[in-house]
Amino acid sequence: MLIFVQRLGRLVFVFFVVTFVTFFLLDQAPGDPAERFAGLNATPEVVEGIRANLGLNGSLLERYTRWLGNAVRFDFGDSIVTRGFSSWDLIRESLPKTLELMVLAEIMAIGMAVPLALASARRPGGFIDKAASSTAFGLLALPAFVLGIYMSFVFGVKLGWFPTIVDNLPGLNDDPLNNLRQMFLPSLTLALNLVAVYLRLLRSDLIETLQEDYVMLAQARGLSERRIMWRHVLRPSSLNFTTAVGLNIAGLIGGAFIIEVLFAINGMGRLVIQSVILEDFNVVAAVVAILTVAYVMMNFLVDVLYSILDPRIRHGAR
Amino acid sequence: MAGTGTAHLRSDVVLSVTELVVEFPARKKQVVHAVSGVSFDLDQGETLGIVGESGCGKTTTGRAIMQLESVTSGSIRLNGVDLVTQQGEQLRQARKKMQMIFQDPVSSLNPSRRVRDIVREGIDIWGSTREGDLDAWVAEVMASVGLGDDGIADRRPHEFSGGQCQRINIARALVMEPDVLILDEPVSALDVSVQAQILNLLEGLKRQFGLTMLFISHDLAVVKNISDRVMVMYLGKVCEIAGTADLYARPTHPYSRALLASIPGNTLGLPPASELISGELPSPLDPPSGCRFRTRCPHASEVCASTEPELVEHAPGHWVACHHPAVTEPRQQFV
Amino acid sequence: MALVEPGPTGVKTEAEAVAAVKQGGPVPSRKLGVMFWFSATWIVALVFLALFRDILPIRDPDELGIRTREVAKFEGPGWNAFFGADGQGRDMFARVVQGARPALILGLTVTIIGGLLGSAVGLTAGYLRGKVDSVSTILIDIALAFPGLVLLISVRATFGNSMFVFITLFSLTSIPGYARIVRGASFALSERDFVDAAEAMGATKRRILLRELAPNIALPVLSFAFIGFALVIVAEGGLAFIGLSLDEITWGKLIADGAGDIDKHAHVALLPATVMFLTILAFNLVGDSMRSLYSPREVVTQRRLRVGPVADTGSGDEVLYIDDLFTALHTPNGDVHAVDGVSLSLKAGEALGVVGESGSGKTMILRSIVGAFALADVTRSGTIEVAGVDMLRAAPADILRTLGTQIGMVSQNPLTALNPVRLIEHQITEPMLVHTSMSKSQARARALELMQQVGISAPERRLREYPHQLSGGMRQRVTIAIALANEPALLLADEPTTALDVTVQDQILRLLSGLQRDRQMAMVLVTHDLAVVKGFTDRVAIVYAGEVIESGPTEQIFTNPRHRYTVALIQSMPDLDLPSHSELTTIEGTPPSLISPPRGCRFAARCPAAQDICNTTPPSADERSEHWFRCHFPAGENAQGHA
Repeated sequence: MLIFVQRLGRLVFVFFVVTFVTFFLLDQAPGDPAERFAGLNATPEVVEGIRANLGLNGSLLERYTRWLGNAVRFDFGDSIVTRGFSSWDLIRESLPKTLELMVLAEIMAIGMAVPLALASARRPGGFIDKAASSTAFGLLALPAFVLGIYMSFVFGVKLGWFPTIVDNLPGLNDDPLNNLRQMFLPSLTLALNLVAVYLRLLRSDLIETLQEDYVMLAQARGLSERRIMWRHVLRPSSLNFTTAVGLNIAGLIGGAFIIEVLFAINGMGRLVIQSVILEDFNVVAAVVAILTVAYVMMNFLVDVLYSILDPRIRHGAR
Repeated sequence: MAGTGTAHLRSDVVLSVTELVVEFPARKKQVVHAVSGVSFDLDQGETLGIVGESGCGKTTTGRAIMQLESVTSGSIRLNGVDLVTQQGEQLRQARKKMQMIFQDPVSSLNPSRRVRDIVREGIDIWGSTREGDLDAWVAEVMASVGLGDDGIADRRPHEFSGGQCQRINIARALVMEPDVLILDEPVSALDVSVQAQILNLLEGLKRQFGLTMLFISHDLAVVKNISDRVMVMYLGKVCEIAGTADLYARPTHPYSRALLASIPGNTLGLPPASELISGELPSPLDPPSGCRFRTRCPHASEVCASTEPELVEHAPGHWVACHHPAVTEPRQQFV
Repeated sequence: MALVEPGPTGVKTEAEAVAAVKQGGPVPSRKLGVMFWFSATWIVALVFLALFRDILPIRDPDELGIRTREVAKFEGPGWNAFFGADGQGRDMFARVVQGARPALILGLTVTIIGGLLGSAVGLTAGYLRGKVDSVSTILIDIALAFPGLVLLISVRATFGNSMFVFITLFSLTSIPGYARIVRGASFALSERDFVDAAEAMGATKRRILLRELAPNIALPVLSFAFIGFALVIVAEGGLAFIGLSLDEITWGKLIADGAGDIDKHAHVALLPATVMFLTILAFNLVGDSMRSLYSPREVVTQRRLRVGPVADTGSGDEVLYIDDLFTALHTPNGDVHAVDGVSLSLKAGEALGVVGESGSGKTMILRSIVGAFALADVTRSGTIEVAGVDMLRAAPADILRTLGTQIGMVSQNPLTALNPVRLIEHQITEPMLVHTSMSKSQARARALELMQQVGISAPERRLREYPHQLSGGMRQRVTIAIALANEPALLLADEPTTALDVTVQDQILRLLSGLQRDRQMAMVLVTHDLAVVKGFTDRVAIVYAGEVIESGPTEQIFTNPRHRYTVALIQSMPDLDLPSHSELTTIEGTPPSLISPPRGCRFAARCPAAQDICNTTPPSADERSEHWFRCHFPAGENAQGHA
């Protein structure tokens, strides 16, 4: 228990540092949003007034603390660029799309990687293993955007099965079929990259576990290969795999931006890019906060999952 | 916890360990009582065997003497100087005079270095008070451990077998001409025939270099072969210290008797081990009060729970820490 | 999300680096494969082109072909322009070569800076631990938590997008990746004895870091550096694609530029994409191939179980019948003849001791019976019958059933014999639930019964515990309980007490023996310790180099050993009857290779009584007699002759 509290505390500390440093860096950018907002002809007083309105006055520390206080209540201020919308509004609109992309990608990736890894580990050096490993290796070398272009070229342009860009994406509840059809290619692109990594990780851990004494004894007890694989081998081998999935999820929320740009999905990644380029200060700070919280939470969840998977960690024996 | 007494210590010895206590912090504010008040000494040219099963603290004792573990309390005097009080540079200086051989012969060698550099390591760090050609000295040491062939010095550890690796370890230690050589289960990881080779080698080196050795092992037969005196440990305490022949002919502490009786196929004339010991090893986090062996001893009584037994001289040079030491007929022996 | 983040790839590399240092250092004679050389050539060619672009006959990448009329707009790949031209007639080959420069420069500098700094941090943190480690870990955590994209854009907005800014940025974000990997490796390394030995020798911490630890992580780090190089290229490419990268020509930019025309003039985007892909692949391959230099575990032979010709069948009243068993392991180095013609049989209630040193084949005999070889390519020939079932050729379902109901196995290391993540209860009841029609509650009740029989205290509590909560002796008892779950007729015990304390050894041996006699099971007790077989077996078979070289009643083997090896074995054991400081008899030399065993007697090279015939003719024996041996010049006198 204490371990968890310690970990959580450390992660909270990380959160503070990251948000503060981001705040600081964004502050260093040249240009003054308040001035731009006010326009060319505004008087200094008007600019000051606008600055106060937008909450951009005061020293760095003052602004940060003020921001932090508001952030806890999910009040991230208004978007400077998109008038009429608060930062939180923008995030609320874009986050679900990113989440959907990420969840679909992970489901596909895990759904492909686990059976393939099991099949490969059963017969290392066999046909499935060689084919899967080589493909995975090749996929690892393909950057996401290259793969994305290729996918939309083949499946979108040439075969016409799926749309090449996402246009007017309906909610998942409203029109699931249309939604999934549009999200298929981007998710698959993301998933293929993930599969490559997961497959290699899981395969090598499975092979290692297969050489353990207790597996040999299980074989000597006349248990079927299938039973041994699923009940004896999979769980002890999944620690590294879990870490990878956890880290990925944490990273993907902000990191799928290339796919989002390529397929024109209005997700968080795209939002971040636009906001920084347009110097929409409040939105950027809000996104950073969300991303960092997500990262912190995922790390924590991975730890929790670890201790569920491996009772030795639960009891502090490892 | 009180120790088992210091009445058995001699003076004017090379190594003197007094009331050594080593404790490790564990989870939930608990403490592992690895070594709880152990005292013994080592005379020039003597080999003391420390014997016991897992959790008895013999390895921790060896490591504590080498200052690889922090000592909670007690003193370790090497030629009169208390190592526990030494710090930093002084400690480093003191380390020259003690060397250790570890259990895993392969893991004790840096895989990316050549044998020659490994064996010379001590001299490279310290220089040497030896006059004359250092290379010749290193070559001489290598030859005396049986690694004198050409080309060995240039190879790397992974090209050698376990036995040969252990020889390299021994050579490395001998190059420094140590006052005390501590060996922690040096042959346990080796095949039986290789074990015999290394033991014979150590016997020969003892004579050639006048070594003073502390030989830690769980293997009673091996310990008998190499030691002059033997100390039996259990759960961080000393049970019995005696000359080798004496201990094996007349084991007096109930634990020593159980230990010897458990050796498969022994002809020591002891009752079967099942009559001498029962139950499981208690946790070192919470050792039994009084005599730590009492929870498994067939002779345990009330005094065993309330008072810790001290080492008492049972026979000349034969010390036992027990409230009810067994009195037995000595077994017939050859020497 | 850091920019150049090893992420999941890093997790694997970290785990591997840790595993590698746990195992040992450089692996000799592992070759770098063909792919390595291909990739290395590609990289060298690329570097060459990038470096010497100016003196090579390559066009100016910005030269507009529509003006010079040398190259046509959107010209396809051909002799005029290797990669064709883009919409403005610019030579694509020239542009791709130009794009190689920032990729290589960025990759090289970032890898060197990030690699060196990250490794330094990781190395120190892993060795010194304590506060240094905690601080480093927090710093690494913070660095990894940073949304790298935001960092990049804001820094770029503030400081511009020069190469210098990018190098700094990428280096900073790649440091945590290296640090984490190296820390893991350093941590594992500093647990090895040679670090203790260096400390005990009086080496300073600095010396240990530089001379003991650093050389051992060099290879894993170098291997990852290549992969890290590739990651830099990927990261830059992605950023260029969305227009956030350097101003100069980069591959990402080329791809982005050409993406718009992909339906009509695919070559403009696809060719730079291909070059980029191949370069990344090349770096990955190089890094991956280097792994084979330090990761011995990856040598995994294909897993196959093959069966060779059959031998004689048993009479039907034996529990275990083995005739002419040959077990060969097919490895890249050749076939290892682990078991080379072994025959033995056991009736109910009999206990056979199988004695030999490590590598003699004794464990392989047991494994051949149960057919459990982990990952290996194995051929077994001969006959193995358990309770009448041909264990090599019967239907798989029959074999599994026999394994589950007629055979119980106990192995050597109690600490690894039980699945660490499953409850004791499930491990004991599983064989019952799978092979019999017991219900869960029946199985559970029987499990409790078994645990009591093997002497486990508080069995109710133990059922709900995990293996790591039990001591070694307890775990061995659990393994025995599992083995006895379905009342097998045959008990196979592979060095069941070697890893245990001597007092526990005694308890376990008596337990096994008692159980065996009570249930009239046949037992094979494999051990390297002759003393162990004395009280607990009826017969003994001595194994050497894959063969049984002597076999007979236990009593006779000890009082009248005939084979020279048996004699030497008995003599070389430190005997409690010997006085201290006696010189121990040793057996000179080492056992012969099982890949190409010697022609004559396999023990001849080490035998004090060997003569010429021993080297040329293998001695035979009449295996039907009660006490037989394979020796031309046996020890002792005996009325019972041999063939």
